[in-house]
Amino acid sequence: MEMMFLGYGSAIAVFCIGIYTIVTKKNLFKTVVGLSLMEGGVLLFMVTSGFVPGGGAPLLPLGPGGSVNPLPHSFTLTAIVIGASDVALALAFIIKIHRHYGTVDIDKIRGLRG
Amino acid sequence: MTVYLVGFICAFLVFTAIVAAEAEDILSSVITLSVFGVLLAILFALFRAPDVALTQAIINSGLVTSLFLVAYSQTEKRREFDSDRKDDLK
Amino acid sequence: MRFLRSRLPAAALCLCLGWWLWRGLFFSCCELDGPAAHYVANTASETGASNIVSAILFDYRGFDTLGEATVIYTTVCGVALMFSRSRFRRSGWGLSFIVRRGLGLVVPFLMLYAFSIVIMGHLTPGGGFQGGAVFATVTILFCIVYGSSFEASRISPKTKETLESSGALVFTLVGLFGLAQGSGFLSNIGAGFPAGSLGSLMSAGSIPLLNFAIAMKVGAGLSTLFYSMVKILEDPVEGPPPEV
Repeated sequence: MEMMFLGYGSAIAVFCIGIYTIVTKKNLFKTVVGLSLMEGGVLLFMVTSGFVPGGGAPLLPLGPGGSVNPLPHSFTLTAIVIGASDVALALAFIIKIHRHYGTVDIDKIRGLRG
Repeated sequence: MTVYLVGFICAFLVFTAIVAAEAEDILSSVITLSVFGVLLAILFALFRAPDVALTQAIINSGLVTSLFLVAYSQTEKRREFDSDRKDDLK
Repeated sequence: MRFLRSRLPAAALCLCLGWWLWRGLFFSCCELDGPAAHYVANTASETGASNIVSAILFDYRGFDTLGEATVIYTTVCGVALMFSRSRFRRSGWGLSFIVRRGLGLVVPFLMLYAFSIVIMGHLTPGGGFQGGAVFATVTILFCIVYGSSFEASRISPKTKETLESSGALVFTLVGLFGLAQGSGFLSNIGAGFPAGSLGSLMSAGSIPLLNFAIAMKVGAGLSTLFYSMVKILEDPVEGPPPEV
């Protein structure tokens, strides 16, 4: 039961650190790092919500304590792969922006106006 | 016993996230993000989710880190790169 | 102190958000109910697979996996479209001779590992996504160790396109086969696929086939994604690379 407290607490902390990074940092790479942190926090939240104290991994034959909830695991698998894809798309945008403006600093890009 | 291990790794995870957010250099930030992914995979394994831990370890360390490094190398400033290579060619 | 003062509103907002999320948590635990209990109790009899998560991903919720494969395909199309006319300067010249020979010895074992993760996806943790990602990582290793232009000469982009599209087609054809048998799109035992005995390699009906299709799609797709960003043509300013 304490494991679930720790899991939920650190997932919320990492999510808030991700939002803070996206809002306050000027470099576009830091924005993508913040996006990746937010996704990590959400994944930890989903896996913790499926934990059953005393349960084993969802593989047959099951152990004596039953098994943990396998449904959040399948959502989390999907989310990991889609998260990697959207980080790749964001980085491709950054490369294109650098070729057009010559910089990856948000303040300078806002000042340039095309 | 397991609770202490999970607590230690959760604290380390939050510390790594703060370092990845606040580092000045982009390369340090990306490498710290890779460490964050490995710690997250360990945490998934401790929460009895072996499929998720395997996927997270492979995709985070193999793909996301190399994509970040490719994007970082493609956005370096052109002038200093050319002058470095010409000195090596001499 | 000025450092803190400029970040203070954002930090305070994030702390408030974190406190609000913590207060809104609802702890429901300690027994399974609803669909999860049905899946855990009936996987062996209804699908014949040992890995419950694989059975959920490819049998009970197989349509969501088709949607995820479509998302990956769309991302790869988008990135390849953005860089279709680009020329990049060379990003890597490869590493030394020892590393090249070492990688040449290790690569067959890596490919074997990827193949075993895919093929035994219905018995042990693993499956199509993990195996495809290991395959894409091997192609990225080629780029790092041998230089940026090596891989394009071995596995051409046309081959990767064909692999990715045929993975999606195999997935859809298996689903349509189930429809043709009168049992529903992507149905497993009901469409006549052999269930086999629990725990053996040839079991679980159509799940190994779907694992293989997804591995082809994800591996080729992620590899194309990486190589669109590294696509190298000879740059006239720098000339040929120095001999290593």
